[in-house]
Amino acid sequence: MTNFLTRRGAALLAMLRVWRATLSLTGEVVVAALSPAVYNSATRTVVMKQIYFTAVQILVPFTLFAAILSFVLIQIVVGTAAKYGLSEYALEMVVRLLVLEVLPLVTALFVALRSGSAINTEVALMRINNELEALEDSGVDTLRLEFMPRVIGGMLSVLSLTAITSVLALVLAYLAVYGLQPWSLPDFTRVMGQVFGGGILAGLGAKALVFGLAVTVIPVAEGLATPKMMFMAPISVLRGMVRLFFVLMFIEVASLAFKYI
Amino acid sequence: MERAPISPAPPVPRAPLIKNLEFKIGLLLALTVLLIAAFFAYALYARGAFQVSNKLILTAEDVEGVSIGMPISYSGFPIGKVSRLHLLDDGQIQIELAIPREDARWLRESSVFTLEKALVGGAKIKAHTTNLQDPPLADGAVRPLYTGDSTKDIPVLIAKVKNILANVETMTAAGAPINQTLDHVEVMTGRMAGENGLIGGLMGSPEDARKVVKALDRADTLLASLNGVSLKVDGVLSKVDRRLFDQHGVMDQAQLAIVNVNAILGDARESLKKADAILANAQTASKDLTQITGNVAEATTDMGRLRLDIDDSLRKVNHLINEINKKWPFARDVEIKTP
Repeated sequence: MTNFLTRRGAALLAMLRVWRATLSLTGEVVVAALSPAVYNSATRTVVMKQIYFTAVQILVPFTLFAAILSFVLIQIVVGTAAKYGLSEYALEMVVRLLVLEVLPLVTALFVALRSGSAINTEVALMRINNELEALEDSGVDTLRLEFMPRVIGGMLSVLSLTAITSVLALVLAYLAVYGLQPWSLPDFTRVMGQVFGGGILAGLGAKALVFGLAVTVIPVAEGLATPKMMFMAPISVLRGMVRLFFVLMFIEVASLAFKYI
Repeated sequence: MERAPISPAPPVPRAPLIKNLEFKIGLLLALTVLLIAAFFAYALYARGAFQVSNKLILTAEDVEGVSIGMPISYSGFPIGKVSRLHLLDDGQIQIELAIPREDARWLRESSVFTLEKALVGGAKIKAHTTNLQDPPLADGAVRPLYTGDSTKDIPVLIAKVKNILANVETMTAAGAPINQTLDHVEVMTGRMAGENGLIGGLMGSPEDARKVVKALDRADTLLASLNGVSLKVDGVLSKVDRRLFDQHGVMDQAQLAIVNVNAILGDARESLKKADAILANAQTASKDLTQITGNVAEATTDMGRLRLDIDDSLRKVNHLINEINKKWPFARDVEIKTP
Protein backbone atom coordinates (compact mmCIF):
# COMPACT_ATOMS: atom_id res chain seq x y z
CA MET A 1 0.00 0.00 0.00
CA THR A 2 2.71 2.37 1.06
CA ASN A 3 4.68 1.22 -1.88
CA PHE A 4 1.77 1.92 -4.22
CA LEU A 5 1.22 5.34 -2.74
CA THR A 6 4.93 6.10 -3.00
CA ARG A 7 4.96 5.10 -6.63
CA ARG A 8 1.86 7.14 -7.37
CA GLY A 9 3.27 10.09 -5.53
CA ALA A 10 6.53 9.81 -7.40
CA ALA A 11 4.67 9.65 -10.71
CA LEU A 12 2.63 12.65 -9.75
CA LEU A 13 5.71 14.58 -8.75
CA ALA A 14 7.41 13.66 -12.03
CA MET A 15 4.39 14.86 -13.92
CA LEU A 16 4.30 18.09 -11.99
CA ARG A 17 7.99 18.52 -12.65
CA VAL A 18 7.45 18.21 -16.37
CA TRP A 19 4.61 20.70 -16.25
CA ARG A 20 6.72 23.09 -14.26
CA ALA A 21 9.56 22.65 -16.71
CA THR A 22 7.15 23.27 -19.58
CA LEU A 23 5.84 26.44 -17.99
CA SER A 24 9.29 27.75 -17.14
CA LEU A 25 10.47 26.97 -20.67
CA THR A 26 7.46 28.81 -22.05
CA GLY A 27 8.29 31.80 -19.92
CA GLU A 28 11.93 31.72 -21.00
CA VAL A 29 11.03 31.40 -24.66
CA VAL A 30 8.55 34.25 -24.53
CA VAL A 31 11.01 36.47 -22.72
CA ALA A 32 13.71 35.56 -25.21
CA ALA A 33 11.40 36.13 -28.17
CA LEU A 34 10.52 39.58 -26.88
CA SER A 35 14.12 40.71 -26.47
CA PRO A 36 15.42 42.03 -29.82
CA ALA A 37 19.01 41.19 -28.94
CA VAL A 38 18.50 37.46 -29.63
CA TYR A 39 17.59 37.98 -33.23
CA ASN A 40 20.57 37.47 -35.46
CA SER A 41 21.05 35.79 -38.77
CA ALA A 42 21.47 32.37 -37.17
CA THR A 43 18.22 32.64 -35.24
CA ARG A 44 16.45 33.98 -38.28
CA THR A 45 17.63 31.04 -40.34
CA VAL A 46 16.28 28.55 -37.82
CA VAL A 47 12.97 30.43 -37.63
CA MET A 48 12.69 30.43 -41.41
CA LYS A 49 13.52 26.75 -41.64
CA GLN A 50 10.97 25.98 -38.97
CA ILE A 51 8.32 27.94 -40.84
CA TYR A 52 9.31 26.30 -44.08
CA PHE A 53 8.95 22.78 -42.71
CA THR A 54 5.87 23.54 -40.67
CA ALA A 55 3.87 25.76 -43.01
CA VAL A 56 5.23 26.24 -46.51
CA GLN A 57 5.84 22.59 -47.27
CA ILE A 58 2.34 21.57 -46.33
CA LEU A 59 0.56 24.73 -47.36
CA VAL A 60 -1.07 23.45 -50.54
CA PRO A 61 -2.22 20.00 -49.36
CA PHE A 62 -3.35 21.35 -46.01
CA THR A 63 -5.25 24.23 -47.61
CA LEU A 64 -6.95 21.78 -49.96
CA PHE A 65 -7.88 19.56 -47.05
CA ALA A 66 -9.19 22.53 -45.06
CA ALA A 67 -11.21 23.66 -48.06
CA ILE A 68 -12.85 20.25 -48.42
CA LEU A 69 -13.56 20.00 -44.71
CA SER A 70 -14.99 23.53 -44.67
CA PHE A 71 -17.09 22.88 -47.73
CA VAL A 72 -18.62 19.73 -46.27
CA LEU A 73 -19.35 21.34 -42.91
CA ILE A 74 -20.82 24.43 -44.57
CA GLN A 75 -23.09 22.29 -46.71
CA ILE A 76 -24.27 20.34 -43.67
CA VAL A 77 -24.97 23.44 -41.59
CA VAL A 78 -26.61 25.43 -44.40
CA GLY A 79 -28.70 22.45 -45.48
CA THR A 80 -29.84 21.63 -41.98
CA ALA A 81 -30.61 25.26 -41.19
CA ALA A 82 -32.68 25.56 -44.38
CA LYS A 83 -34.57 22.42 -43.45
CA TYR A 84 -35.57 23.91 -40.11
CA GLY A 85 -36.30 27.34 -41.55
CA LEU A 86 -33.29 28.92 -39.89
CA SER A 87 -31.40 29.92 -43.03
CA GLU A 88 -30.79 33.41 -41.76
CA TYR A 89 -28.71 31.95 -38.94
CA ALA A 90 -26.79 29.51 -41.14
CA LEU A 91 -24.04 31.91 -42.14
CA GLU A 92 -23.40 33.04 -38.60
CA MET A 93 -23.32 29.47 -37.42
CA VAL A 94 -20.93 28.41 -40.18
CA VAL A 95 -18.54 31.26 -39.43
CA ARG A 96 -18.61 30.65 -35.71
CA LEU A 97 -18.11 26.94 -36.18
CA LEU A 98 -15.35 27.02 -38.80
CA VAL A 99 -13.40 30.23 -38.35
CA LEU A 100 -13.59 30.49 -34.60
CA GLU A 101 -13.31 26.84 -33.58
CA VAL A 102 -12.72 24.07 -36.09
CA LEU A 103 -10.07 25.53 -38.35
CA PRO A 104 -7.69 26.81 -35.63
CA LEU A 105 -7.99 23.50 -33.80
CA VAL A 106 -7.49 21.40 -36.92
CA THR A 107 -4.51 23.51 -37.91
CA ALA A 108 -2.96 23.14 -34.46
CA LEU A 109 -3.54 19.38 -34.49
CA PHE A 110 -2.03 19.08 -37.93
CA VAL A 111 1.05 21.07 -36.99
CA ALA A 112 1.30 19.07 -33.75
CA LEU A 113 1.26 15.80 -35.63
CA ARG A 114 3.70 16.88 -38.29
CA SER A 115 6.12 19.28 -36.59
CA GLY A 116 5.45 18.76 -32.89
CA SER A 117 6.30 15.09 -33.05
CA ALA A 118 9.37 15.85 -35.14
CA ILE A 119 10.58 18.48 -32.68
CA ASN A 120 9.93 16.16 -29.77
CA THR A 121 11.95 13.37 -31.36
CA GLU A 122 14.78 15.69 -32.35
CA VAL A 123 15.13 17.20 -28.89
CA ALA A 124 14.82 13.80 -27.19
CA LEU A 125 17.55 12.36 -29.40
CA MET A 126 19.74 15.42 -28.87
CA ARG A 127 19.32 14.98 -25.16
CA ILE A 128 20.00 11.22 -25.22
CA ASN A 129 23.07 11.78 -27.36
CA ASN A 130 24.31 14.54 -25.05
CA GLU A 131 24.29 16.96 -27.97
CA LEU A 132 22.56 19.62 -25.93
CA GLU A 133 25.21 19.56 -23.23
CA ALA A 134 27.85 19.64 -25.91
CA LEU A 135 26.30 22.71 -27.49
CA GLU A 136 26.00 24.45 -24.17
CA ASP A 137 29.58 23.55 -23.33
CA SER A 138 30.71 25.12 -26.54
CA GLY A 139 28.95 28.31 -25.47
CA VAL A 140 25.87 27.99 -27.65
CA ASP A 141 22.69 29.16 -25.97
CA THR A 142 20.40 26.25 -26.85
CA LEU A 143 17.33 28.11 -25.70
CA ARG A 144 18.01 31.02 -28.01
CA LEU A 145 19.40 29.13 -30.92
CA GLU A 146 17.46 25.87 -30.90
CA PHE A 147 14.24 26.18 -28.97
CA MET A 148 13.12 29.79 -29.19
CA PRO A 149 13.35 29.91 -33.03
CA ARG A 150 11.35 26.69 -33.27
CA VAL A 151 8.67 28.09 -31.01
CA ILE A 152 8.46 31.34 -32.97
CA GLY A 153 8.43 29.42 -36.24
CA GLY A 154 5.67 27.16 -34.93
CA MET A 155 3.57 30.05 -33.71
CA LEU A 156 3.91 31.98 -36.96
CA SER A 157 3.11 28.83 -38.94
CA VAL A 158 -0.06 28.08 -36.99
CA LEU A 159 -1.13 31.73 -37.26
CA SER A 160 -0.44 31.80 -40.96
CA LEU A 161 -2.17 28.52 -41.75
CA THR A 162 -5.16 29.50 -39.61
CA ALA A 163 -5.47 32.86 -41.36
CA ILE A 164 -5.27 31.35 -44.85
CA THR A 165 -7.73 28.53 -44.19
CA SER A 166 -10.14 30.83 -42.34
CA VAL A 167 -10.29 33.36 -45.15
CA LEU A 168 -10.80 30.52 -47.59
CA ALA A 169 -13.61 29.18 -45.41
CA LEU A 170 -15.27 32.62 -45.37
CA VAL A 171 -15.16 32.76 -49.15
CA LEU A 172 -16.61 29.26 -49.38
CA ALA A 173 -19.32 30.15 -46.88
CA TYR A 174 -20.30 33.19 -48.94
CA LEU A 175 -20.47 31.08 -52.08
CA ALA A 176 -22.47 28.35 -50.36
CA VAL A 177 -25.02 30.71 -48.85
CA TYR A 178 -25.38 33.38 -51.54
CA GLY A 179 -23.95 31.79 -54.66
CA LEU A 180 -21.52 33.31 -57.13
CA GLN A 181 -22.70 36.94 -57.10
CA PRO A 182 -21.47 40.05 -55.34
CA TRP A 183 -24.77 41.70 -54.39
CA SER A 184 -25.15 39.97 -51.05
CA LEU A 185 -21.93 41.44 -49.71
CA PRO A 186 -23.72 43.97 -47.46
CA ASP A 187 -25.72 41.15 -45.94
CA PHE A 188 -22.57 39.10 -45.47
CA THR A 189 -20.80 42.08 -43.98
CA ARG A 190 -23.61 42.60 -41.50
CA VAL A 191 -23.34 39.02 -40.27
CA MET A 192 -19.54 39.32 -40.09
CA GLY A 193 -19.96 42.45 -38.03
CA GLN A 194 -22.26 40.54 -35.73
CA VAL A 195 -19.81 37.68 -35.28
CA PHE A 196 -16.45 39.41 -35.15
CA GLY A 197 -16.55 41.75 -32.22
CA GLY A 198 -13.31 43.14 -30.84
CA GLY A 199 -13.17 40.54 -28.10
CA ILE A 200 -13.81 37.67 -30.48
CA LEU A 201 -11.11 38.84 -32.88
CA ALA A 202 -8.58 39.29 -30.09
CA GLY A 203 -9.56 35.91 -28.67
CA LEU A 204 -9.11 34.27 -32.07
CA GLY A 205 -5.65 35.76 -32.52
CA ALA A 206 -4.62 34.84 -28.99
CA LYS A 207 -5.93 31.34 -29.43
CA ALA A 208 -3.94 30.81 -32.63
CA LEU A 209 -0.78 32.09 -30.92
CA VAL A 210 -1.31 29.92 -27.83
CA PHE A 211 -1.95 26.91 -30.06
CA GLY A 212 1.33 27.64 -31.85
CA LEU A 213 3.12 28.01 -28.55
CA ALA A 214 1.72 24.75 -27.17
CA VAL A 215 2.46 22.85 -30.37
CA THR A 216 6.17 23.65 -30.08
CA VAL A 217 6.88 24.25 -26.40
CA ILE A 218 5.37 21.00 -25.13
CA PRO A 219 7.40 18.75 -27.46
CA VAL A 220 10.56 20.68 -26.60
CA ALA A 221 9.88 20.42 -22.87
CA GLU A 222 9.01 16.73 -23.14
CA GLY A 223 12.15 16.09 -25.16
CA LEU A 224 14.27 17.88 -22.61
CA ALA A 225 12.73 15.75 -19.84
CA THR A 226 13.66 12.48 -21.58
CA PRO A 227 15.81 10.17 -19.46
CA LYS A 228 19.11 9.56 -21.21
CA MET A 229 18.30 6.10 -22.51
CA MET A 230 17.81 5.28 -26.16
CA PHE A 231 14.59 3.32 -25.63
CA MET A 232 13.02 6.32 -23.89
CA ALA A 233 12.90 8.35 -27.13
CA PRO A 234 9.59 6.85 -28.44
CA ILE A 235 8.09 7.04 -24.96
CA SER A 236 9.09 10.68 -24.77
CA VAL A 237 7.35 11.40 -28.10
CA LEU A 238 4.26 9.44 -27.03
CA ARG A 239 4.02 11.35 -23.77
CA GLY A 240 4.65 14.63 -25.50
CA MET A 241 1.88 14.02 -28.06
CA VAL A 242 -0.69 12.95 -25.45
CA ARG A 243 0.15 15.94 -23.33
CA LEU A 244 -0.05 18.22 -26.37
CA PHE A 245 -3.44 16.79 -27.30
CA PHE A 246 -4.84 17.48 -23.85
CA VAL A 247 -3.37 20.96 -23.77
CA LEU A 248 -4.88 21.82 -27.16
CA MET A 249 -8.26 20.50 -26.08
CA PHE A 250 -8.02 22.35 -22.81
CA ILE A 251 -7.29 25.61 -24.65
CA GLU A 252 -10.20 24.98 -26.99
CA VAL A 253 -12.65 24.21 -24.20
CA ALA A 254 -11.41 27.18 -22.20
CA SER A 255 -11.90 29.50 -25.18
CA LEU A 256 -15.41 28.12 -25.77
CA ALA A 257 -16.30 28.53 -22.13
CA PHE A 258 -14.92 32.03 -22.13
CA LYS A 259 -16.97 32.98 -25.21
CA TYR A 260 -20.29 31.31 -24.54
CA ILE A 261 -20.63 30.77 -20.79
CA MET B 1 31.73 21.84 -18.11
CA GLU B 2 34.85 19.81 -18.54
CA ARG B 3 33.75 18.24 -21.79
CA ALA B 4 34.96 19.64 -25.04
CA PRO B 5 32.41 21.01 -27.49
CA ILE B 6 31.35 18.44 -30.04
CA SER B 7 29.85 20.60 -32.72
CA PRO B 8 30.66 24.22 -32.27
CA ALA B 9 28.63 25.40 -35.26
CA PRO B 10 24.84 25.60 -35.30
CA PRO B 11 23.09 23.56 -38.04
CA VAL B 12 23.38 26.35 -40.57
CA PRO B 13 25.05 24.34 -43.35
CA ARG B 14 21.78 22.64 -44.14
CA ALA B 15 20.25 25.90 -45.34
CA PRO B 16 21.22 25.71 -49.02
CA LEU B 17 19.11 22.58 -49.37
CA ILE B 18 16.02 24.76 -49.67
CA LYS B 19 15.72 26.93 -52.74
CA ASN B 20 14.41 30.48 -52.32
CA LEU B 21 13.78 29.87 -48.65
CA GLU B 22 13.72 33.52 -47.73
CA PHE B 23 11.45 34.43 -50.61
CA LYS B 24 8.96 31.70 -49.80
CA ILE B 25 8.90 32.52 -46.12
CA GLY B 26 8.63 36.22 -46.90
CA LEU B 27 5.75 35.52 -49.23
CA LEU B 28 3.93 33.41 -46.69
CA LEU B 29 4.44 35.90 -43.88
CA ALA B 30 3.43 38.83 -46.10
CA LEU B 31 0.31 36.94 -47.15
CA THR B 32 -0.49 36.18 -43.54
CA VAL B 33 0.00 39.76 -42.42
CA LEU B 34 -2.03 41.00 -45.36
CA LEU B 35 -4.88 38.59 -44.65
CA ILE B 36 -4.95 39.39 -40.96
CA ALA B 37 -4.77 43.15 -41.53
CA ALA B 38 -7.40 43.04 -44.26
CA PHE B 39 -9.69 40.90 -42.18
CA PHE B 40 -9.24 43.15 -39.19
CA ALA B 41 -10.11 46.18 -41.29
CA TYR B 42 -13.08 44.32 -42.78
CA ALA B 43 -14.29 43.35 -39.32
CA LEU B 44 -14.02 46.96 -38.20
CA TYR B 45 -15.95 48.04 -41.28
CA ALA B 46 -18.54 45.36 -40.64
CA ARG B 47 -18.87 46.52 -37.04
CA GLY B 48 -19.67 49.95 -38.41
CA ALA B 49 -16.44 51.62 -37.33
CA PHE B 50 -16.24 53.69 -40.52
CA GLN B 51 -19.94 54.35 -40.70
CA VAL B 52 -21.79 57.48 -39.68
CA SER B 53 -24.96 56.33 -38.09
CA ASN B 54 -28.02 57.87 -36.51
CA LYS B 55 -29.07 56.92 -33.05
CA LEU B 56 -32.56 55.63 -32.42
CA ILE B 57 -33.80 54.81 -28.94
CA LEU B 58 -36.66 52.40 -28.47
CA THR B 59 -38.30 51.95 -25.08
CA ALA B 60 -39.88 48.67 -24.07
CA GLU B 61 -40.91 46.82 -20.95
CA ASP B 62 -39.50 43.46 -21.87
CA VAL B 63 -36.65 42.88 -24.27
CA GLU B 64 -36.30 39.15 -23.91
CA GLY B 65 -34.53 37.83 -26.98
CA VAL B 66 -32.98 41.17 -27.90
CA SER B 67 -29.21 41.15 -28.01
CA ILE B 68 -26.50 43.56 -28.98
CA GLY B 69 -25.79 43.38 -32.67
CA MET B 70 -29.30 42.20 -33.46
CA PRO B 71 -30.57 43.73 -36.69
CA ILE B 72 -33.61 45.94 -37.10
CA SER B 73 -35.33 45.23 -40.37
CA TYR B 74 -37.52 47.26 -42.65
CA SER B 75 -39.54 45.21 -45.15
CA GLY B 76 -37.19 42.31 -44.43
CA PHE B 77 -34.00 44.29 -45.07
CA PRO B 78 -31.67 44.95 -42.17
CA ILE B 79 -31.25 48.70 -41.80
CA GLY B 80 -29.40 48.90 -38.53
CA LYS B 81 -28.57 47.08 -35.36
CA VAL B 82 -28.84 47.16 -31.62
CA SER B 83 -25.81 48.88 -30.17
CA ARG B 84 -26.71 49.18 -26.50
CA LEU B 85 -29.28 47.98 -24.00
CA HIS B 86 -29.94 49.56 -20.67
CA LEU B 87 -32.40 49.15 -17.89
CA LEU B 88 -33.67 52.45 -16.53
CA ASP B 89 -34.52 53.12 -12.88
CA ASP B 90 -38.25 53.01 -13.59
CA GLY B 91 -38.02 49.48 -15.00
CA GLN B 92 -38.24 50.63 -18.61
CA ILE B 93 -35.66 49.31 -20.99
CA GLN B 94 -33.95 51.45 -23.57
CA ILE B 95 -32.67 49.82 -26.71
CA GLU B 96 -30.19 51.94 -28.53
CA LEU B 97 -29.97 51.27 -32.24
CA ALA B 98 -27.42 52.49 -34.73
CA ILE B 99 -28.98 53.25 -38.08
CA PRO B 100 -26.46 54.02 -40.84
CA ARG B 101 -27.13 57.40 -42.47
CA GLU B 102 -27.93 55.94 -45.86
CA ASP B 103 -30.57 53.65 -44.34
CA ALA B 104 -32.04 56.31 -42.06
CA ARG B 105 -34.31 57.47 -44.88
CA TRP B 106 -36.54 54.47 -44.34
CA LEU B 107 -37.47 55.74 -40.90
CA ARG B 108 -39.97 58.58 -40.72
CA GLU B 109 -41.74 60.45 -37.94
CA SER B 110 -44.73 58.16 -38.35
CA SER B 111 -42.71 54.92 -38.22
CA VAL B 112 -43.79 52.22 -35.80
CA PHE B 113 -41.42 49.71 -34.23
CA THR B 114 -42.35 46.20 -33.16
CA LEU B 115 -40.60 43.34 -31.45
CA GLU B 116 -41.81 39.98 -32.69
CA LYS B 117 -41.02 36.69 -31.09
CA ALA B 118 -41.50 33.52 -33.07
CA LEU B 119 -41.74 29.94 -31.93
CA VAL B 120 -38.47 29.02 -33.61
CA GLY B 121 -35.59 31.44 -33.96
CA GLY B 122 -34.86 34.63 -32.14
CA ALA B 123 -36.84 37.80 -31.68
CA LYS B 124 -37.00 40.37 -34.46
CA ILE B 125 -37.18 44.12 -34.31
CA LYS B 126 -39.12 45.50 -37.24
CA ALA B 127 -39.71 49.02 -38.44
CA HIS B 128 -42.95 49.85 -40.24
CA THR B 129 -43.23 53.04 -42.25
CA THR B 130 -46.50 53.62 -44.04
CA ASN B 131 -45.85 57.04 -45.48
CA LEU B 132 -42.39 57.71 -46.84
CA GLN B 133 -43.32 61.36 -47.48
CA ASP B 134 -43.37 62.14 -43.76
CA PRO B 135 -40.47 64.11 -42.30
CA PRO B 136 -37.49 61.86 -41.52
CA LEU B 137 -36.94 60.56 -38.03
CA ALA B 138 -34.51 62.76 -36.14
CA ASP B 139 -31.18 61.51 -34.84
CA GLY B 140 -31.58 60.34 -31.24
CA ALA B 141 -35.36 60.06 -31.43
CA VAL B 142 -37.12 58.04 -28.72
CA ARG B 143 -39.94 55.77 -29.78
CA PRO B 144 -41.93 53.02 -28.06
CA LEU B 145 -41.31 49.42 -29.08
CA TYR B 146 -44.47 47.36 -29.30
CA THR B 147 -44.12 43.72 -28.46
CA GLY B 148 -46.20 41.00 -30.00
CA ASP B 149 -45.47 37.72 -28.33
CA SER B 150 -47.15 34.90 -30.18
CA THR B 151 -45.88 32.29 -27.72
CA LYS B 152 -47.59 33.93 -24.76
CA ASP B 153 -51.07 32.92 -25.90
CA ILE B 154 -50.20 29.37 -26.73
CA PRO B 155 -51.10 27.71 -23.38
CA VAL B 156 -54.53 29.38 -23.39
CA LEU B 157 -55.00 28.47 -27.00
CA ILE B 158 -54.09 24.86 -26.36
CA ALA B 159 -56.56 24.63 -23.47
CA LYS B 160 -59.31 25.99 -25.71
CA VAL B 161 -58.40 23.71 -28.58
CA LYS B 162 -58.48 20.75 -26.19
CA ASN B 163 -62.05 21.62 -25.19
CA ILE B 164 -63.10 21.99 -28.77
CA LEU B 165 -61.51 18.69 -29.68
CA ALA B 166 -63.27 16.96 -26.79
CA ASN B 167 -66.59 18.37 -28.02
CA VAL B 168 -65.88 17.30 -31.55
CA GLU B 169 -65.01 13.86 -30.26
CA THR B 170 -68.32 13.58 -28.40
CA MET B 171 -70.14 14.79 -31.46
CA THR B 172 -68.49 12.37 -33.82
CA ALA B 173 -68.60 9.36 -31.51
CA ALA B 174 -70.87 6.45 -32.54
CA GLY B 175 -74.40 7.00 -31.18
CA ALA B 176 -73.83 10.70 -30.51
CA PRO B 177 -77.03 12.80 -30.54
CA ILE B 178 -75.90 14.79 -33.55
CA ASN B 179 -75.20 11.59 -35.44
CA GLN B 180 -78.65 10.25 -34.61
CA THR B 181 -80.19 13.52 -35.70
CA LEU B 182 -78.30 13.31 -38.94
CA ASP B 183 -79.51 9.73 -39.38
CA HIS B 184 -83.10 10.85 -38.88
CA VAL B 185 -82.61 13.69 -41.28
CA GLU B 186 -81.30 11.20 -43.77
CA VAL B 187 -84.34 8.93 -43.32
CA MET B 188 -86.65 11.93 -43.63
CA THR B 189 -85.02 13.30 -46.73
CA GLY B 190 -85.12 9.78 -48.16
CA ARG B 191 -88.87 9.70 -47.62
CA MET B 192 -89.22 13.19 -49.02
CA ALA B 193 -87.49 12.03 -52.15
CA GLY B 194 -89.98 9.13 -52.30
CA GLU B 195 -93.50 8.73 -53.56
CA ASN B 196 -95.29 10.92 -51.03
CA GLY B 197 -92.70 13.75 -51.06
CA LEU B 198 -92.65 16.22 -48.21
CA ILE B 199 -95.80 14.81 -46.60
CA GLY B 200 -94.26 11.36 -46.55
CA GLY B 201 -91.22 12.82 -44.81
CA LEU B 202 -93.36 14.54 -42.22
CA MET B 203 -95.80 11.74 -41.51
CA GLY B 204 -93.40 8.84 -41.32
CA SER B 205 -95.48 5.92 -42.63
CA PRO B 206 -96.83 5.87 -46.18
CA GLU B 207 -100.43 5.06 -44.96
CA ASP B 208 -100.57 8.22 -42.91
CA ALA B 209 -99.22 10.18 -45.79
CA ARG B 210 -101.90 8.76 -48.04
CA LYS B 211 -104.57 9.71 -45.48
CA VAL B 212 -103.31 13.23 -45.41
CA VAL B 213 -103.37 13.36 -49.16
CA LYS B 214 -106.94 12.08 -49.13
CA ALA B 215 -107.93 14.60 -46.48
CA LEU B 216 -106.46 17.30 -48.62
CA ASP B 217 -108.44 16.06 -51.61
CA ARG B 218 -111.64 16.13 -49.57
CA ALA B 219 -110.93 19.55 -48.31
CA ASP B 220 -110.49 20.57 -51.91
CA THR B 221 -113.88 19.17 -52.86
CA LEU B 222 -115.44 20.76 -49.81
CA LEU B 223 -114.02 24.08 -50.73
CA ALA B 224 -115.43 23.72 -54.25
CA SER B 225 -118.95 23.03 -52.95
CA LEU B 226 -118.63 25.80 -50.43
CA ASN B 227 -117.82 28.02 -53.30
CA GLY B 228 -121.07 26.94 -55.01
CA VAL B 229 -123.00 27.58 -51.81
CA SER B 230 -121.58 30.99 -51.43
CA LEU B 231 -122.49 31.74 -55.04
CA LYS B 232 -126.05 30.69 -54.32
CA VAL B 233 -126.19 32.74 -51.16
CA ASP B 234 -125.02 35.62 -53.25
CA GLY B 235 -127.91 35.07 -55.64
CA VAL B 236 -130.43 34.82 -52.78
CA LEU B 237 -129.12 37.95 -51.23
CA SER B 238 -129.41 39.86 -54.45
CA LYS B 239 -132.98 38.59 -54.85
CA VAL B 240 -133.83 39.65 -51.32
CA ASP B 241 -132.33 42.94 -52.10
CA ARG B 242 -134.45 43.26 -55.15
CA ARG B 243 -137.61 42.17 -53.32
CA LEU B 244 -137.00 44.54 -50.52
CA PHE B 245 -135.74 47.64 -52.20
CA ASP B 246 -136.89 47.60 -55.85
CA GLN B 247 -139.57 49.96 -57.16
CA HIS B 248 -142.36 47.52 -56.36
CA GLY B 249 -140.57 45.86 -53.51
CA VAL B 250 -141.65 45.24 -50.00
CA MET B 251 -140.44 48.56 -48.74
CA ASP B 252 -142.43 50.50 -51.26
CA GLN B 253 -145.54 48.55 -50.48
CA ALA B 254 -144.99 48.98 -46.77
CA GLN B 255 -144.74 52.70 -47.34
CA LEU B 256 -148.04 52.62 -49.25
CA ALA B 257 -149.63 50.55 -46.50
CA ILE B 258 -148.56 53.09 -43.92
CA VAL B 259 -150.23 55.81 -45.97
CA ASN B 260 -153.37 53.65 -46.02
CA VAL B 261 -153.12 53.11 -42.28
CA ASN B 262 -152.99 56.85 -41.79
CA ALA B 263 -156.10 57.25 -43.91
CA ILE B 264 -157.87 54.45 -42.00
CA LEU B 265 -156.84 55.98 -38.68
CA GLY B 266 -158.32 59.26 -39.89
CA ASP B 267 -161.55 57.34 -40.61
CA ALA B 268 -161.42 55.78 -37.18
CA ARG B 269 -160.95 59.20 -35.57
CA GLU B 270 -164.00 60.43 -37.49
CA SER B 271 -165.98 57.46 -36.26
CA LEU B 272 -164.91 58.07 -32.68
CA LYS B 273 -165.93 61.71 -32.97
CA LYS B 274 -169.32 60.52 -34.11
CA ALA B 275 -169.41 58.15 -31.16
CA ASP B 276 -168.61 61.09 -28.88
CA ALA B 277 -171.43 63.01 -30.39
CA ILE B 278 -173.73 60.05 -29.87
CA LEU B 279 -172.62 59.71 -26.28
CA ALA B 280 -173.32 63.41 -25.74
CA ASN B 281 -176.71 62.87 -27.19
CA ALA B 282 -177.19 59.97 -24.84
CA GLN B 283 -176.27 62.20 -21.87
CA THR B 284 -178.82 64.76 -22.97
CA ALA B 285 -181.28 61.98 -23.39
CA SER B 286 -180.73 60.64 -19.88
CA LYS B 287 -181.67 64.05 -18.46
CA ASP B 288 -185.13 63.71 -19.76
CA LEU B 289 -186.19 60.16 -19.15
CA THR B 290 -189.25 60.49 -21.02
CA GLN B 291 -187.44 61.90 -23.83
CA ILE B 292 -185.19 59.04 -23.47
CA THR B 293 -187.78 56.45 -23.50
CA GLY B 294 -189.38 58.27 -26.34
CA ASN B 295 -186.30 58.31 -28.30
CA VAL B 296 -184.97 54.90 -27.23
CA ALA B 297 -186.04 53.27 -30.38
CA GLU B 298 -184.39 56.01 -32.38
CA ALA B 299 -181.27 55.85 -30.21
CA THR B 300 -180.91 52.13 -30.43
CA THR B 301 -181.21 52.36 -34.16
CA ASP B 302 -178.51 55.00 -34.16
CA MET B 303 -176.46 52.81 -31.83
CA GLY B 304 -176.77 49.90 -34.21
CA ARG B 305 -175.65 52.02 -37.06
CA LEU B 306 -172.71 53.39 -35.10
CA ARG B 307 -171.73 49.94 -34.10
CA LEU B 308 -171.73 48.86 -37.68
CA ASP B 309 -169.59 51.86 -38.64
CA ILE B 310 -167.06 51.14 -35.90
CA ASP B 311 -166.94 47.45 -36.77
CA ASP B 312 -166.41 48.32 -40.34
CA SER B 313 -163.52 50.67 -39.44
CA LEU B 314 -161.97 48.05 -37.21
CA ARG B 315 -162.20 45.42 -39.86
CA LYS B 316 -160.45 47.73 -42.24
CA VAL B 317 -157.68 48.30 -39.69
CA ASN B 318 -157.40 44.55 -39.03
CA HIS B 319 -157.24 43.84 -42.67
CA LEU B 320 -154.58 46.43 -43.09
CA ILE B 321 -152.52 44.97 -40.29
CA ASN B 322 -152.81 41.54 -41.79
CA GLU B 323 -151.70 42.95 -45.09
CA ILE B 324 -148.68 44.49 -43.44
CA ASN B 325 -147.90 41.28 -41.64
CA LYS B 326 -147.95 39.41 -44.84
CA LYS B 327 -145.56 41.81 -46.50
CA TRP B 328 -143.39 42.55 -43.44
CA PRO B 329 -141.94 39.46 -41.87
CA PHE B 330 -142.47 40.60 -38.29
CA ALA B 331 -144.27 37.93 -36.45
CA ARG B 332 -146.50 39.89 -34.17
CA ASP B 333 -149.87 39.09 -32.97
CA VAL B 334 -151.58 42.39 -33.44
CA GLU B 335 -155.29 42.68 -33.17
CA ILE B 336 -157.36 45.60 -32.43
CA LYS B 337 -160.42 44.60 -30.64
CA THR B 338 -163.41 46.53 -29.79
CA PRO B 339 -164.17 46.75 -26.19
